[in-house]
Amino acid sequence: MFDIKRLTEKQVFLLDGAMGTELFRAGLPPGHCPEAWNEERPEAVAGIHRSYYEAGSLAVLTNSFGGNALKLAGYGLESRTFDLNFKAAQLARSVCPEGRYVGGSIGPTGKFLKPVGDLTEDQLLEAFRPQVGGLAAGGVDFLLIETQYDLKEAILALRAARETCSLPVILTMTFNLTRRGYYTLMGVSPEAFVRAMEENTVEAFGANCTLSPADMIGLIRIMRSLSDGPLIAQANAGQPRVGPDGSTFYELGPGEYAGYIPELVEAGARVIGGCCGTSPEYIKKIAEKISAFFDKID
Amino acid sequence: MKPEPNNHLQALSQAIVQGLVDEAGPLAEKALAAGLPPLQVIEQACVPAIEEVGRLWEAGDYFLPELIAGAEAMKAAMTVLQEALKSSGQSLKSAGRVVIGTVEGDIHDIGKNLVASMLRASGFEVIDLGADVKVERFVETAEREKADIIALSALLTTTMLNQKRVVELLVSLGLKDKFKVMVGGAPVTEKFAREIGADGYGESAVQAVSVARNLLAGRGGNHD
Repeated sequence: MFDIKRLTEKQVFLLDGAMGTELFRAGLPPGHCPEAWNEERPEAVAGIHRSYYEAGSLAVLTNSFGGNALKLAGYGLESRTFDLNFKAAQLARSVCPEGRYVGGSIGPTGKFLKPVGDLTEDQLLEAFRPQVGGLAAGGVDFLLIETQYDLKEAILALRAARETCSLPVILTMTFNLTRRGYYTLMGVSPEAFVRAMEENTVEAFGANCTLSPADMIGLIRIMRSLSDGPLIAQANAGQPRVGPDGSTFYELGPGEYAGYIPELVEAGARVIGGCCGTSPEYIKKIAEKISAFFDKID
Repeated sequence: MKPEPNNHLQALSQAIVQGLVDEAGPLAEKALAAGLPPLQVIEQACVPAIEEVGRLWEAGDYFLPELIAGAEAMKAAMTVLQEALKSSGQSLKSAGRVVIGTVEGDIHDIGKNLVASMLRASGFEVIDLGADVKVERFVETAEREKADIIALSALLTTTMLNQKRVVELLVSLGLKDKFKVMVGGAPVTEKFAREIGADGYGESAVQAVSVARNLLAGRGGNHD
């Protein structure tokens, strides 16, 4: 049984890094549905999971970030929602070493609820249910609802998860650092987020994506001042840059990124992973930092 | 007592700033019924209001829901006012014609939709091609629609390079001077825009409007 509170009592729980970045490196053509690779190129997806486990991840996240029915409908694959998520879970499970874990990744739909957009609450629940069903049937240990910007959508995803299975659910939202502080795209403050997570008894929650590790430290400090629960932090490898040859890369290297980890842990993060631009190499460096600083954590 | 014309303008302006979508249309009608010319209502109520919405967004006081509501309220008022202009035989001079889309390989359309609604709210005619749009389709549509601007969105570091391909195609077809190209999206920077030969870069949907205006300043639209 996956118990995140127990797992973070005496250690930092290390997740994996970027999946999208690695899929593109493995040859995923732009415009191709990433989740379709769970069936078309299972060995490539499993290979990425394996390299994260080898780098030191205690859990990897399934290749199902865009696996809700609304997002898959963009590729005409909405009727495959359950199967693609089932396969995503199986693939990660198939390479998961003894004593490690598999988390089911659930990203946002990219659509908006009324009145900002056209979606009804029922449509959102319907989009997430088969995804949760597939991930649970495929054997994940927990669900990570991630990269959310609308608190209502995040709570609906949580509801769909809890109505469909009995797996533990953890949750991250994506914050920007604005002139007035940290807010999500929809204007959710860390205070509103933490309150909602505690009201809904989410066992672990925090932030991912967009922020650099340096900016993430400030956000985690705020959340820590509001909550005692295990906080999740998955920062980007800084900002994307374009090289002279036209290739794109992120500004922070693995060593630089890992350099921020002790401060991030001291700020209160207990579940750490990478986001855009990070790779198994980053996770390896982070794992080294964590074991070096292990004694410092109470 | 008959309300002053200024009160009508102020009420409409406030409705747009506050994003009161259901009230903006009726308030525009009231202003017209009070004898205000549609152009005056647009110039003195609608335009300053949507600019205020943009200012509040840039300042971090407004977030996406407020920005969208403001743009929707503006649209509701403009529908009424443009109808009135048309029946009086006038028409609003378009601020310019924009072909917009998210580039090939990229299905993210939140940012692109925001830019499209802000441009529309600011008097641009917008032809929205949606997401995952082929390089050739931008150019073909711009030619056919006699557009002034091609606006390209990308959210991924892997797809932002397709913005460059659109510029390259325009150059190879000898069409680079015919259209202004503006780019935006999370990974895109001013520097990247310059490097790929784009004419403009907007950091936000609000900036995109002033960028588009500046690009067309001093030149007549293709379609006039």
